Amino acid sequence: MKTICPRCESPGVTQMHAGMEDGEVLWRVWHCKDCAYTWRDSEPAESIDPKLRPAWAQMKGVDFDSLRQVIPPARKPT
Amino acid sequence: MATEKVVSLSAEAKAVAARVGSLRDFLAYLGEHDQCVSWPDPVMPEPDIRNISVAAGNNVSTGPAVIFDKIRGYPGKRIAVNVHGSFGNLALLLGLPKTTPVRELFFEIIRRWGSDKPLLERVAPEKALVNENRIDKNINLYDLLPLYRINANDGGFYIGKACVVSRDPLDPDNFGKQNVGIYRIQVMGPDTFTLLSIPAHDMGRQMLMAEQHGKPLKVSVMIGNHPAMPMFAATPVGYDESEFAYASQMMGAPLRLTTAVNGTDILADTEMVIEGELQLNQREVEGPFGEFPGSYSGVRKVPLFRVTGVSHRNNPIFENIYIGKGWTEHDTLIGLNTSAPIYAQLKKDFPEVAAVNALYQHGLTGIISVKNRFSGFAKSVAMRALGTPHGTMYLKNLILVDDNVDPFDLNQVMWALSTRTRANDIIVIPNMPMVPIDPAAEVPGKGHRLIIDATSFMAPDNLGADPHLVDRPMGPEIDALMQRLNELQKGGV
Repeated sequence: MKTICPRCESPGVTQMHAGMEDGEVLWRVWHCKDCAYTWRDSEPAESIDPKLRPAWAQMKGVDFDSLRQVIPPARKPT
Repeated sequence: MATEKVVSLSAEAKAVAARVGSLRDFLAYLGEHDQCVSWPDPVMPEPDIRNISVAAGNNVSTGPAVIFDKIRGYPGKRIAVNVHGSFGNLALLLGLPKTTPVRELFFEIIRRWGSDKPLLERVAPEKALVNENRIDKNINLYDLLPLYRINANDGGFYIGKACVVSRDPLDPDNFGKQNVGIYRIQVMGPDTFTLLSIPAHDMGRQMLMAEQHGKPLKVSVMIGNHPAMPMFAATPVGYDESEFAYASQMMGAPLRLTTAVNGTDILADTEMVIEGELQLNQREVEGPFGEFPGSYSGVRKVPLFRVTGVSHRNNPIFENIYIGKGWTEHDTLIGLNTSAPIYAQLKKDFPEVAAVNALYQHGLTGIISVKNRFSGFAKSVAMRALGTPHGTMYLKNLILVDDNVDPFDLNQVMWALSTRTRANDIIVIPNMPMVPIDPAAEVPGKGHRLIIDATSFMAPDNLGADPHLVDRPMGPEIDALMQRLNELQKGGV
């Protein structure tokens, strides 16, 4: 089954690291290129299952460009 | 302000200062006093580290530092939490018994306060322990650090207790303007991270400057530090004052500094330094993060940094913090150092101020004990407190008690509230600046302040209650005299 982001449900996710134990992969860390969520696939479901995560914490369909800026950029990035 | 004042220390405090030069030294010292434990069982990164950290911090008096060295999936890696999580640990750092009351710790910090004459020892980079290992290529922070999620709904894995060093982009050679602060850092890609600051903070100011002028902003993220460093990195000192200098003076012993590859000054014995550079005008989605008011901050777009190199000691310790709904290590770490500058600033103008307790949620509630010089005086002191640098943003609820009430003893404070407060001694000031992440704000950054004057009633000056009026001379005779003066002014006789 393809891994998707538990927060924005984007398929654009990248494996960052794999935790090893006795030569076996114990868990993997993933990062979402769209909403920047990071998670480990061994975490409790409340953090990584879209169905169990609180609704307020989900970002499916959010326009990331409309998020508030704490330090507004001086100009457009080059 | 640089002063010649030098802190005098007890023999015990000198002995601690002489032997504690790094996080490792402090953990060993804490262990000798039963204030540091190594967790004996294997732990999963989530939720075990979070849960054990909370349990350690629940004992505010003598909760221990905890070292994890059996983290599943991170063989050979180590994490330390709750190093500043109890007043017992802070007392030991100051050379005092671990059962020292908080009030006495407050006055010990005050006694050591007010000097920023630096006590620094320079270490050549090739001799600095932090440089035992260096990584310049293929950097992966997820591999180098045993990262984990602090609170269940955080947006990622945070480095929550690092001391970040940065030079002023427009005055990079100025030692005093070099800033050391604690900012929340969310690890993003393998070699990128976001760093959250606001324009009111020194780091935010430097980010704005760098982007306005197109200048580079290089930072060194120091992880696992001398225990005095995070206490002062979280203290609001003046922009051109050095946190290194304050920290060294509080310990009364030199801090060992070396120069990072990127030119910033760093602690020579720190566990790990991540060097990064601000990616000018680039932003990344950051948060939420379980913050000190006990609620999650929102999701925002935050400045992005790229890692240029990592240095670390052999077998480094990732020192991190549990932060969230209080009481947490965050409250103990910064509470006394939040109270001290407010006290010092008030005391300068109002010697009647006896003590300040701003331990709660970075001073969102503060208790000031003061001797009323005259009726209503405590309210004037409260207004002055709201005008101090920290009070401007943070002091939301202020309680004023008499000077014979210990503000660190909440039973005494409740006694004062119960027996001294009159409803017309409560003041609400609407639409004041507030910390943006305070959920009690009307809108982020704006809300109301509360002052409760729970000092003893003092009768107002009764002059005026029974006035004996002066008979003011008036009538035709005075009118004639005025006319005469007028003529004299015009040259008449």
